[in-house]
Amino acid sequence: MLKQEDEYDYLFKVVLIGDSGVGKSNLLSRFTRNEFSLDSKSTIGVEFATKSIKTDGKTIKAQIWDTAGQERYRAITSAYYRGAVGALLVYDISKHLTFDNVERWLKELRDHADSNIVIMLVGNKSDLRHLRAVSTEEAMAYAESNGIAFIETSALDSSGVDTAFQRILTEIYQKMSRKSMVGGGADADASITQGEPIAPVNFENEAKSSGGCC
Amino acid sequence: MNGVLGQSDGKAHAANADKGATANGSHPTKSARATSSKDVLFDALLQAADLDLDKLRAASWTRVPDRVRGPVWQLLLGYLPTKRERRDATLRRKRQEYFDCLPMYYNNADAERSEEDQKMLRQILLDIPRTNPGMPLFHCDEVRRSLERMLYIWAIRHPASGYVQGMNDLVTPFYVVFLADHLSDGEIKTINAYDASIVDSDILRAVEADSYWCLTKLLDGIQDHYTMLQPGLQRMFYRLQGIIQRIDQPLHDHLQNEHVDFNQFAFRWMNCLLVRELELNSIVRLWDTYLAEEREGFDSFHVYVCAALLVTWSNELQRMSFQDLLMFLQNLPTSDWDVVRIEELLGQAFILKTLFNESPSHLV
Repeated sequence: MLKQEDEYDYLFKVVLIGDSGVGKSNLLSRFTRNEFSLDSKSTIGVEFATKSIKTDGKTIKAQIWDTAGQERYRAITSAYYRGAVGALLVYDISKHLTFDNVERWLKELRDHADSNIVIMLVGNKSDLRHLRAVSTEEAMAYAESNGIAFIETSALDSSGVDTAFQRILTEIYQKMSRKSMVGGGADADASITQGEPIAPVNFENEAKSSGGCC
Repeated sequence: MNGVLGQSDGKAHAANADKGATANGSHPTKSARATSSKDVLFDALLQAADLDLDKLRAASWTRVPDRVRGPVWQLLLGYLPTKRERRDATLRRKRQEYFDCLPMYYNNADAERSEEDQKMLRQILLDIPRTNPGMPLFHCDEVRRSLERMLYIWAIRHPASGYVQGMNDLVTPFYVVFLADHLSDGEIKTINAYDASIVDSDILRAVEADSYWCLTKLLDGIQDHYTMLQPGLQRMFYRLQGIIQRIDQPLHDHLQNEHVDFNQFAFRWMNCLLVRELELNSIVRLWDTYLAEEREGFDSFHVYVCAALLVTWSNELQRMSFQDLLMFLQNLPTSDWDVVRIEELLGQAFILKTLFNESPSHLV
């Protein structure tokens, strides 16, 4: 039985990755439930949440997997990159080390995710102005040189959070539409009952033929 | 309520740290409260010159009385010796051994640490403020520093796994139980930050050392839950799935049809031994039984408990689709479960254990 909120045109799987303590879980709870907690517990393994947005008159449902940041969990969390069409790579603007590690996270994505995955670099905790250790310019230049999108957010005061998710989901949608890979509404409905994200079939085929994956 | 914690008189708390004499279970104020037959049984067991561990296990399975929980847990873990006359000396020696570790492993500058060790310490420091934030005790600076030292020293001394997120949760039951043992009748519900800040620092040090060794004993028994790729956890998911398939095929099939993998929801249940799912009071009761189960408690018996937990909502779960299943299972409505509910769960797990032990082929 489908509930009203279960109706959507597209279902996109997105992963939240980045160092421990950068605020991934709070970004997710701010986006999906408009909640923020200063003493939230660390994420163990992988946690899941979902939210739908509208773009171009279509309803896009985001299935978001929030991962544990500790390096030790990477073997487990990277299994969740499979089938993901978007990744929010989060660092903490007040801790330069978390920005230095972005390089490693990109490598993780190159090694384990689809080569067409849309990546957005997210500088979180922008409310910590007096503690800023990574300048907007530095991060923006880095994102540009790597051909990925960039935004600063604050899960605490909400700024940028909706925009970040809205932008990455829209970009995924556009990327898929451009390549006319987006299945029709009927296909989308078919996938609901399976409880799985729409498999962007051509998307994956292309990745294989380009040899960009694994 | 309980006498000691209810008072604002700091003196009541400033008991002598050498109340490590708790180990022989002979504190007059507490013994005075021994009224039930369970209390009498535990007192007799603890007073014996050479404690009968099998009897202690049997008695502990159905709950350890609050006022003797500290020493009983330490005995069940093998931290305290069964010979009564050796207990105080053992405690003194092991505590000293821990204190001696501090300058060696902990009190050194970052420059003296390897990059790996620095990384581990950073991770621990990130997780300490996120450890049971709902309990004021864990906001106390003294307590946070204790947790930091214990976890870091454990990690340094166990390089095969190092610190794994979630271990911070596992130390909390020990810390609270042992602190309660020094403060009151073992009423952990009423412990708060205030207690830790006025307690004699020698007591806190003793609690820290005892918690460290007991965490070590616990983790020694489940090492492969935390080594690279966590094979112990993988084995537990597999067993859990096997049990569910046998006892609740419709639920098993529904989860499969919805493409829900057991590791997607049971990872935290296994990694943190349900500390994230249940109130600390309930965890303490759960662990009475786990410790009484000897080695298997935190491993195969825990899987039976998780199986009993999962089928609790079998009907509801079978009406849910993928995302609702995951959201539900990652946020179980168990925060208000009391000890009575935990004992029902343990009873169900025991039935499963009996069932599967009698016909092991059930668990292919």
